Amino acid sequence: MPSNAPRLEVERLAKRFGGLVAVRNLAFSIRSGEILGLIGPNGSGKSTVMKLIMGIEKPDAGAVRLDGVDVAGWPTHRIARKGVGIVFQHSRPLHRQTVVENIKLALLPDSLFRLAAEPQVEERARAIAERVGLGAVLDRRPPTLPFADLRRLEMAKAMARDPAVVLVDEPFAGLTQAEVAAFSELLDGFRRDGRAVLLVDHNVKSVARLADRVLAMYLGERIAEGTADEVMRDETVRRVYIGGAIQTHARPEATNTAGEALLDLRDVDVFYGKAQALQNVSLRVQPGEFVSVVGLNGAGKTTLFNAISGLVPYAGEIRWRGAKLAGRSPAAIARGGIVQCPETRELFGDMSVRENLDLGGQHLSAVARDRQLAWLIDLFPILRERAGQKARTLSGGEQQMLAIARALMMQPKLLILDEPSLGLAPVILEELSKALTQLRETTDITVLLGEQNVTFALPHADRVYLLEHARIIWEGGPARFAAERGAGYL
Amino acid sequence: MPTIGRSFGFALLAIALVLGGSAPWWLGAYYLGIFTIAYYFGVFAMSWDLLFGYAGEVNFGPTFLIGIGAYAAGLLNNAGVPLIACIALGALAAVIGGMILAIPALRLRGPYFGLVTLVAVLLLLDLIVIFAAETGGEIGMTVPDVLSVSTSVNYWYAFGFLVVSGAILFGLSRSALGLILQATGQDRIEAQALGFNVTKHKLAAFAISALFSGLAGAMLAFYEGTASVDQMVDLSIAVQIIIAVVFGGRRTIVGGVLGAVFLVLFNELLRPIGQLNTFIVSAIALAVILFLPDGVLGWLLRPRAGQ
Amino acid sequence: MRQREHENLPLLALQILVDGFAISALYGLGAVGFTLIFGVSGVLNLAHGGIMTVAALVGWWVAAEHGAGPYGSAALGVAAAVVASFVTYYVSIRPIQRSRAIPAEEEEIFILTSTLLWGVMLQVGLDYVFTNNPVTMLPLLPGVVQVAGVRTPKNEVLIAIVCWAIIGVLSLLVNRTRIGKQLLAASINPRALTLLGFELSHIYLVVWAIYGFLAGVAGVLLATFLGVSADTSGALTASAFTIVILGGLGSVPGSLVAAYVVGYAETITAYLIAPTLRPIPALVLLIIVLYVRPQGLLGRR
Repeated sequence: MPSNAPRLEVERLAKRFGGLVAVRNLAFSIRSGEILGLIGPNGSGKSTVMKLIMGIEKPDAGAVRLDGVDVAGWPTHRIARKGVGIVFQHSRPLHRQTVVENIKLALLPDSLFRLAAEPQVEERARAIAERVGLGAVLDRRPPTLPFADLRRLEMAKAMARDPAVVLVDEPFAGLTQAEVAAFSELLDGFRRDGRAVLLVDHNVKSVARLADRVLAMYLGERIAEGTADEVMRDETVRRVYIGGAIQTHARPEATNTAGEALLDLRDVDVFYGKAQALQNVSLRVQPGEFVSVVGLNGAGKTTLFNAISGLVPYAGEIRWRGAKLAGRSPAAIARGGIVQCPETRELFGDMSVRENLDLGGQHLSAVARDRQLAWLIDLFPILRERAGQKARTLSGGEQQMLAIARALMMQPKLLILDEPSLGLAPVILEELSKALTQLRETTDITVLLGEQNVTFALPHADRVYLLEHARIIWEGGPARFAAERGAGYL
Repeated sequence: MPTIGRSFGFALLAIALVLGGSAPWWLGAYYLGIFTIAYYFGVFAMSWDLLFGYAGEVNFGPTFLIGIGAYAAGLLNNAGVPLIACIALGALAAVIGGMILAIPALRLRGPYFGLVTLVAVLLLLDLIVIFAAETGGEIGMTVPDVLSVSTSVNYWYAFGFLVVSGAILFGLSRSALGLILQATGQDRIEAQALGFNVTKHKLAAFAISALFSGLAGAMLAFYEGTASVDQMVDLSIAVQIIIAVVFGGRRTIVGGVLGAVFLVLFNELLRPIGQLNTFIVSAIALAVILFLPDGVLGWLLRPRAGQ
Repeated sequence: MRQREHENLPLLALQILVDGFAISALYGLGAVGFTLIFGVSGVLNLAHGGIMTVAALVGWWVAAEHGAGPYGSAALGVAAAVVASFVTYYVSIRPIQRSRAIPAEEEEIFILTSTLLWGVMLQVGLDYVFTNNPVTMLPLLPGVVQVAGVRTPKNEVLIAIVCWAIIGVLSLLVNRTRIGKQLLAASINPRALTLLGFELSHIYLVVWAIYGFLAGVAGVLLATFLGVSADTSGALTASAFTIVILGGLGSVPGSLVAAYVVGYAETITAYLIAPTLRPIPALVLLIIVLYVRPQGLLGRR
């Protein structure tokens, strides 16, 4: 039962990285035996909040109180000893020690002179291992364990310190449905132990069942707080995630689905270590088509695009105009006509807008380059004004336009746009949307668009794929998507 | 599998101890001398591995610590301090020097820690040359006392020192401190989030490394009868220590001893072909780094498929 | 160094100013290549001095043994350095970057160790082939000239001019040409360059070629000015290293500023205190900078 005094209290928390405001004036509290879900799309600042609480980053302002003591700015190890534990998403356990030794590590005191562990430590380590479900693999070494067990090990280590407050980063990323259930049970156990739990995740859905309350963040600020249901129904949250009321474009579904596909993926699997990021993904893009892959953050969109661009190894087959792409370097794939404009934009920050564009056009002849440049400046007039400015001084929207323009300088046959709407204000989105419409109506370019923001994606889609938990679970036209999947998406 | 590996390891260790301990009865004086030096090198290598393999810090300046140990002991001995006190004070000086270096340097990340340690060696080299009147400069400083005049006794001193240091350092690497050090080397942030004061443990590792480096440096000076730049401070010695560890297998402690014995022996065996021996030894070490990055011991102990 | 016979302070100051300029320019040239490699491919090449020495010894050898003229031997020395630079890349860097057994976070230490080993191999190899005697190449321009009232060998003036000319050309190359823009872009964001269809492996080859040229010219010029032997290669690496760290890893202007700081600090120490103390101020400065401002004078975090 939650007691009344909050275990963890965060007040007026703020953090800037250079010019970027990561967290602004954030406040919340968690009581014993309570689970708070902290959600927000990529770049909303939720991970920063976690780091600020743990002392991995130092807050610029505000307080982080543990049982009334302000620990803001303390070194991490002192905050940990004060009773905060963290379950990292990516773990690097000791490879040469067994599971039980890894847990014992977490039970050791921070002392130079206690050279041998106390006898009861072994016993406690075993008990914790049993509890998280590692009982059968006590003497195995981490490199031989499946992904879910590595996550269990991280849980066990956090539990070993008996923390009053537990921060969990993306508790269910990379897990199967059955494993999700087991982990939910474990997290529920934290609640029963009377710990205050903060679950950090991209989307409401995954934490809805567990969290007593959910706090949604966007661009560093709180946009909603309440029960999971309330937050899911909240207008602002829906606008941030989905983008408002869903509209589809008037253009009829593409008719040329019969001919040879421009891009053809068959049964593509991608693993990051032991975590499966793509499972059995098959996808076709016809010439001239605008295809949208929609899915929440973490569903596997970026991995999909990186596999196509040759940036991550995969199993299965990816064909481009009938020929296999496997074995070609990422640069050769890009020169071959598949140009990716990544989520992270990847601009040359210290170079001017013009220099960025010129690098994109270096493969073209001088005449073609000038023509392309003139056309792009027509498409994105703001780039003309900013031509001499350094890329990193541009606003987020301008950077996105530059990134797209730079990719278009290469005269791609297929343009891959990964989350172009990420972190952009509605006005900018509209501008971007217009540019995409213009592309679609005036050129024969083919576009593969990855988006979380469905409202942004659908008007530009001839066909839609829905990606969830590394798999494609739905495929069809945009109008059908709105009717069939619109409500259950978030 | 691991139990077989372990008993196999114990058997090898026992054989090595018996062979090593009895060597003066069956090995010629020439080779005893070579092994004596190799054993001191082995301690240098083990000390370095504690810092690199366990704490994850690249110390390009092990010879800074060794040199301080050797020269401090030598200077004191020349001032009339008895030998045992000189060795102890030499080791203490190495620890103090190491702390002066490490306390600020450990704040630095990435390659910078390594760079500072490298610079420390260069500085020490220059100081020795500048104060040539006291230190003997590039020629070296003669020390009045020697450990012993008997080859066998000198050998046993070195062997005993190696075994004791090895036991202590190996034990430390397997102790709670070793675990925490490995955790900090593996993932600094996670180690901190588990409540460990990373800097404190790294400093401790540095102090221990300095202690054994300094002791070995001082003892080597009293074995050779001189403290010399060529044998104790020069960057090429630092390089050889690093090679010994990487060659033998980093994160194993004992691997460094294997590497050191190999290097010293090989250098000696190849002496007839002249300067090229360093070339060949470096080439072999480079090949090991490129093709067996876990070193010889790491390769022998690698987890087999199916385990 | 010239004798310390100056009673007259202004003349001494001028002497230091003129004398320090050439050596600083030379330091700058050597360090710029080192910085370039680090900036573009993240490699700290500890075989740097070895490559400079290759240029010097090969240049000296073709002159002494085969009668090549000062310019011909200089050109051959530089060519040898370019070859040595490629070999360095293929022997001690590329295999590690491509190895799967070496975890990414340990790549740095492996490259430092492997280039260090390769540097030792170069040094010992050169020692074996050319012996350990310091060699001096013929000055490119013999004779002496008055600079601001200070008698200065023409060769020293030429060195300063050549160094700055090359640095100027390099800066034009980087800022004005297509390949230069690619290099610059690679130092800012290599991933983006790949996405734009440029092969990083080609860019690395270009960088190593430029680097070999710069190190070669620095080595040859150094040999016409001071003696160079196989054994000096370690010290040459150390001095380039010192300068680059002092200036800020990856910052070319930083390296140039640091080269002058070090060059003048050394010259002043040599003239006013004692020639034997020459290397000390740079090291002390370096330690202070590392502690106070580890990113270097002009480096960014």
